[in-house]
Amino acid sequence: MRPSGIILAALVAAVAPALPAQDADTGRAVHLLNRAAFGARPGDVARVLALGVDRWLETQLHPDRIPDTTLTRYLASLDVMRRSPEEIGRVVRDALVERRARQVRAARDSTRPMEPADAGGSPLRRYPAQLQQAALARAVLSERQLYEVLADFWVNHFNVFMAKGNELALMPAYVEETIRPRVLGKFEGLLVATAQSPAMLMYLDNAQSVAEGAVPPVLAGQRGRGAGRQAARRDSLRARLEERMPKGINENYARELLELHTLGVDGGYTQADVVAVARILTGWSVRRRGAPEFEFNDWAHDGGDKVVLGRTFHEQGMDEGLELLAFLARQPATMRHVSAKLCMRLVSDVPPEGCIDAGVHAWERSDGEIREVVRAILRSPEFWAPEARAAKMKTPLEFVASAVRAVGGRPDSTPALAALVGRLGQPLYLQAAPTGYAEREESWVNSGALLERFNVAMGLAAGRLPGVWYDADRLVPLESDPGRLADAVNAALLTGTAGDATRSTMRRQLADIRDPAAARVFAIGLALGSPEFQRQ
Amino acid sequence: MPCDCSTASMDRRVFVRAGTLALVSLGLDPIFLTRAAYANRSTAQPPNRQKTLICVFQRGAVDGLNMIVPHGDAAYYRERPRIAVPPPGKDGGALDLDGTFGLHPALAPLLPFYRAGSLGIVHAVGSPDATRSHFDAQDYMETGTPGRKGTADGWLSRHLAHAADHRETPFRGVAIGPQLPRALRGAAPALAIGDLQAFGLRGRGRARDRIEAAFEEMYAGAATGLVASSSAEAFEAVKMLRTADPARHQPGNGAEYPRSPFGQAMRQLAQLIKAELGLEIGFADLGGWDTHVNQGAAQGQLAARLRDLGAGLTAFATDLGERMADVLVLTMSEFGRTVAENGNAGTDHGHGTAMMVLGGNTRGGRIHGRWPTLDEGARFEGRDLAVTTDFRTLFGEILEKHLGATELTSIFPAFEAVGSGLGVIG
Repeated sequence: MRPSGIILAALVAAVAPALPAQDADTGRAVHLLNRAAFGARPGDVARVLALGVDRWLETQLHPDRIPDTTLTRYLASLDVMRRSPEEIGRVVRDALVERRARQVRAARDSTRPMEPADAGGSPLRRYPAQLQQAALARAVLSERQLYEVLADFWVNHFNVFMAKGNELALMPAYVEETIRPRVLGKFEGLLVATAQSPAMLMYLDNAQSVAEGAVPPVLAGQRGRGAGRQAARRDSLRARLEERMPKGINENYARELLELHTLGVDGGYTQADVVAVARILTGWSVRRRGAPEFEFNDWAHDGGDKVVLGRTFHEQGMDEGLELLAFLARQPATMRHVSAKLCMRLVSDVPPEGCIDAGVHAWERSDGEIREVVRAILRSPEFWAPEARAAKMKTPLEFVASAVRAVGGRPDSTPALAALVGRLGQPLYLQAAPTGYAEREESWVNSGALLERFNVAMGLAAGRLPGVWYDADRLVPLESDPGRLADAVNAALLTGTAGDATRSTMRRQLADIRDPAAARVFAIGLALGSPEFQRQ
Repeated sequence: MPCDCSTASMDRRVFVRAGTLALVSLGLDPIFLTRAAYANRSTAQPPNRQKTLICVFQRGAVDGLNMIVPHGDAAYYRERPRIAVPPPGKDGGALDLDGTFGLHPALAPLLPFYRAGSLGIVHAVGSPDATRSHFDAQDYMETGTPGRKGTADGWLSRHLAHAADHRETPFRGVAIGPQLPRALRGAAPALAIGDLQAFGLRGRGRARDRIEAAFEEMYAGAATGLVASSSAEAFEAVKMLRTADPARHQPGNGAEYPRSPFGQAMRQLAQLIKAELGLEIGFADLGGWDTHVNQGAAQGQLAARLRDLGAGLTAFATDLGERMADVLVLTMSEFGRTVAENGNAGTDHGHGTAMMVLGGNTRGGRIHGRWPTLDEGARFEGRDLAVTTDFRTLFGEILEKHLGATELTSIFPAFEAVGSGLGVIG
């Protein structure tokens, strides 16, 4: 079918919406704030312009040099951040044990419905909700914006679902100690840290993976020694333990390590490689007594030779796994796959080849320093190309964070805003699939989700959204002329990106509203709900 | 199709589709076109009457052996001294189905459907994967790829994406609840609706209409690609719901839904069907099946959950009446529970379970699938009911014979026995 001239012309307009007049530097600053940050706050564009795009970016690449007092003060209002991850973990574990005991008691004495809901004050509700809220607050309030964008990226790349079981207790340490300190470090360091984290070991079952026929020392002794009741009890305990003992390797982590964390699904590995990786990692487990920590169980380790991608790994106990991770972190397929994912996040749903190449070259030069890879991507011509502007749909987290930032809003200390992100389809730390949340727009655009975004936009504008406060007077002065009001809102909230259709709709819709305060609320709501604001 | 789409809006949508083809012919293949391409294949009128599949997920692993009681298998009573449902005829006994199996007495309202041949049961059905993790097993059942964790989309979504002939309506796939279940996530659009009456823009009367009109105008003018088609769908859905007003459909034939969340979910699904909105896949969840402790026998915790299930299914089938010829309800659960009761008069995570198929062309009034027996030697890993029917065999047969699916190998990849069929659907 040959497209007619009219369709072609319309298509050009549809594919590349005309950017409104905006000087080149402002356009660059807006683009950078959309991708290397969670959108612009009032005044941010001017601040980037004053510093210069390059220097702003350089500063963001060294977050430890940026003071972050507003965020620090905010986080101190959250219980979950005031206490150490270990302490939170212990409290949550105790609460899990208590809940099980309560269920047993409840079930014993009545036929009440099972699994009584945990009250809002229970650590099992409060801490996960606060952990989600901390992530949202960091996106909104932190001055270290690029760092927070990348923290979100890596938490998602090395996804763990916090509601599978005891992961609820492991999540604070996973976020605060495993991922966040390594966000801009060496990829290998991140890979090893996640591989040895109790959260990942439990979530993808490597803690259960043992060599074929391996027997733990506690079961290695002779059966049925001694006589009488004690021996019988010991035997029954042993039978129960034996029944629960893993019977061989579990490939789950090995497969996702290759497919998602390193090589990528087309990274050239086979099922035999998956099995070999699982065998290398047998024995990588979690300490059962006391606080959960990484533990290597020699008895569970498979001592034979294994071949991964043509390379033979000889028996070396735990070091074999470290050698494997170092090997995987340096594979060309890994460099490409991870660079492409970063480009997908930072540049476009379909990562441009030039961007991927820039990431790979920086990776090779720096032996996998994430800071260098990210710098190369953000300086690549593909990042700055016109077709990359406004090319990405905001995820629910990005939409909520950028909307609150756009109005200069402040989250309160309740987890309401994080819950909102969940209602929009992205409950944080609760993506069950190891793939993490999708980066492509088709995962986020659907009719129900759009309607909810309109509701959020109007609710936030009207000050009806729980969990956040903003000052409309500081944002946009009262204005009775609809044209001038539309322009002021466009400048303040959309960094001047509203297209003709959006501006004319706004003007028309505002024309008959007499009350300037009501008109302002409506205009702010329309701006936050506009097609332009859904993109970045 | 009850759609009063204005000409302008129709033109725009036609344009979006024409644009799709044009882009492809130019060698461009933007991702957003995937969905538009599915929509393209659709026809304005359904080729046949609208067929609907309702999936009810019993999350937490139902004890299939106390739901559909193998009272003719001696091992059942031997292994469950405290929690077995008594044999038929005894006080609180199972309701005999075929001399070997019986319904739990709390499911009594379903017995007439079985006798009338519209309720069929598949026993010893489940996953070929040995996992006893709720999380993993639910994931496997919803993605339709047991043993494989990386699958991004659900089997129901893949069906919606592959189905060649369908009405183009935003209500093809609807889950009642706050979020889409994994089974419905993927490239095909689907809606999660907590409450039909609250779907759409919030606000009252004219203020709400005003906001809706403003966004509709704005998106008609400024949105592109997938956002344009999805927003058009959204406003269309809101208008369709307002026109169809599903809430006006009161339960028919004297049906009484339980006031439980499950009962209300089933009631809303029935309303969507009666409102003729083109519902093809409906989904409802029902939890509370993880009966490790004191699960009870004829009475007790499990009985209470089954009562809710039975009452909800019965109300739904009664309400829809003759329409049930086009509607099929399938219950599923991630795995079953141990044959033997545990030390707490409950049951632990097991393997095979039972699923119910109600309505449509179900060859009901019988137990489908091969019964492996509860003999110790026949059990899975020596302790659980073995699986003799892969759940994909059942799901695949329903998609093929009830919904007319032709792409089973894409919906259940790497499943060789797909399409072999059980004979559950006539």
